[in-house]
Amino acid sequence: MKDLYLNQYLFVVVFLLVAVAFPLLPLAIAWLLAPHRPAATKNDTYECGLTSKGDAWVQFRVGYYIYALVYVIFAVETVFLYPWAVAFGGMPFGGFLAMMVFVLLLVEGLVYAWAKGALDWK
Amino acid sequence: MMSLYAIQLECLISIWGILILLVDAFKPIPNKRTVGYLAAGFVAVALLYSFAMQPVPDTFFHGMFRLDPFALYFKRLFLLALAAVLLMAAEFSPRIESGVAEFYALLMFCAVGMLLIASVNDFILLFVSLELVTITFYVLASYLRRQIPSLEAGTKYLILGALSSGFTVYGIAYIFGTTGTTNFDKLAEILNSQTGPPASAFIFGMLLVLTGLGFKIASVPFQVWAPDVYQGAPTPVTAFLAVGSKAAGFALLLRVLYTGLLPVSLSWNALIAVLAGATLLYGNLGAIPQHNIKRLLGYSSIGHAGYMLMGVAAVNALGAGAVLFYLGQYAFTNLCAFLAIIAVTAATGSDEIPSFSGLGKRSPILGLALFLSMMSLAGIPPLSGFFGKFQLFAAVVQRAQTDSKYYVLAAIGAVAVVISLYFYLGVGRAIYLQEAEDATPIVVSKPMRFGLVVCMVAMIGIGIFQRPLVHASIMAAKVFSLH
Repeated sequence: MKDLYLNQYLFVVVFLLVAVAFPLLPLAIAWLLAPHRPAATKNDTYECGLTSKGDAWVQFRVGYYIYALVYVIFAVETVFLYPWAVAFGGMPFGGFLAMMVFVLLLVEGLVYAWAKGALDWK
Repeated sequence: MMSLYAIQLECLISIWGILILLVDAFKPIPNKRTVGYLAAGFVAVALLYSFAMQPVPDTFFHGMFRLDPFALYFKRLFLLALAAVLLMAAEFSPRIESGVAEFYALLMFCAVGMLLIASVNDFILLFVSLELVTITFYVLASYLRRQIPSLEAGTKYLILGALSSGFTVYGIAYIFGTTGTTNFDKLAEILNSQTGPPASAFIFGMLLVLTGLGFKIASVPFQVWAPDVYQGAPTPVTAFLAVGSKAAGFALLLRVLYTGLLPVSLSWNALIAVLAGATLLYGNLGAIPQHNIKRLLGYSSIGHAGYMLMGVAAVNALGAGAVLFYLGQYAFTNLCAFLAIIAVTAATGSDEIPSFSGLGKRSPILGLALFLSMMSLAGIPPLSGFFGKFQLFAAVVQRAQTDSKYYVLAAIGAVAVVISLYFYLGVGRAIYLQEAEDATPIVVSKPMRFGLVVCMVAMIGIGIFQRPLVHASIMAAKVFSLH
């Protein structure tokens, strides 16, 4: 009984091994088979075909973080909304109400952030 | 509709918190003190209202939520703590640079988490409500963000708190993995039906959950954060940590050990007894050299976690009731101490013990309040702390009738009481025997005076007429099938 239970973890181990091998294998094959002739253009940073200018380590405005935070809240909201929408058909009224309360709470957060001027770009 | 009845207190407090946030965002109220007093008054009304609520034998939300006498007892305790802490926050508000309304609202949201904790009957709700409390505390502890000690307190609490939450959820995963349920009632059924010892993965999970809860109650070996966080955090937050967060930790500990895991925890008493002894000695010995009163109370709160763990380790009905009684009287005692500390630091700007010298002359009511609360913490009759300790020791001695090793725990507890007299009396000596350098009288506001008088009356009242609180705590402890 106990051995059987632990055997189930074998799948996890196999999965882990495959997950590690899967991205490494093509890289290794390419490294073995491909000819190595580096040049300045070849070693350049690839950015959508455009010539890259300057350093990638530029400073971003710290003001971005509030937008990012507000965005994350609503991005997570969709994660909860999705299964709710799928189960919507067979749902009692309470289920609808609970989700409305949840959404209203998030809207309240947005209203609060807005009133506090978090969305004004200064 | 019944489930709405069950969570009405939580709903009330959250709505009130959200209202404070929104009203202040659109029409800032110039006098932030009044908002605090109003909020405290509202919570006091909610507390009175909670006495009209009746316990319900059923569970709610698919067995996740209970409204039994135990839950109601803790809900009242948390509402009491919240009302007093809001009063403190109102007094403290001039020292907060910005976001006073948010400070009140965060305290209320934190209390909502505690109210949920009182009713937890499932590991999922346990984790969610615990996180609600802990995450708001991260923000609250670092609220004075331009002061280094407050930032230090917030950071330390964040790192250790996040780590302990990780332990808890990891442990829950193991318990769920080995039993297939997170519900306490079903868990107890499964464990009862099992023959032979439980799986080692289950034991591992249980240890991890206990680690997370040990952090909450600041028991050895998860106690190092307490003195630093208590000292650095804004004083109302420290008070809420000492009273609310600690009670929440014990509420969860009792629920988890005595309902869901009762079949196993009956054989785990030795571990908890050892933790209790170590916590008692660490807290009381560590408090001796302290000269900052908040830090001293930090160590003292570790010590008191030790006393209450004695009751938990006894695993009998007397012990469970004694822990509940102790938490009830400890709330009044500690709130009284913190109310007095806030009033003094507002006048002197320091929370070093020497700045409390001559307090008896500078403000007789503050001096008396702080002195009485120190004596109650030390357990001197006729104050409530004495009877609390008496019950805990009685529970341990009752247990020792069948298992004589418990006499050792009782002896350690007795030694700890003697040690604690030294540093509690040190504060008392500063108040009454030492002369103040600056003898200007300290003015105490009316709401503050009210709060202090209520706490003092409760301390003396519970100490002399123990019956009502003993009755309430025994009724609450009856939800556990202990003997």
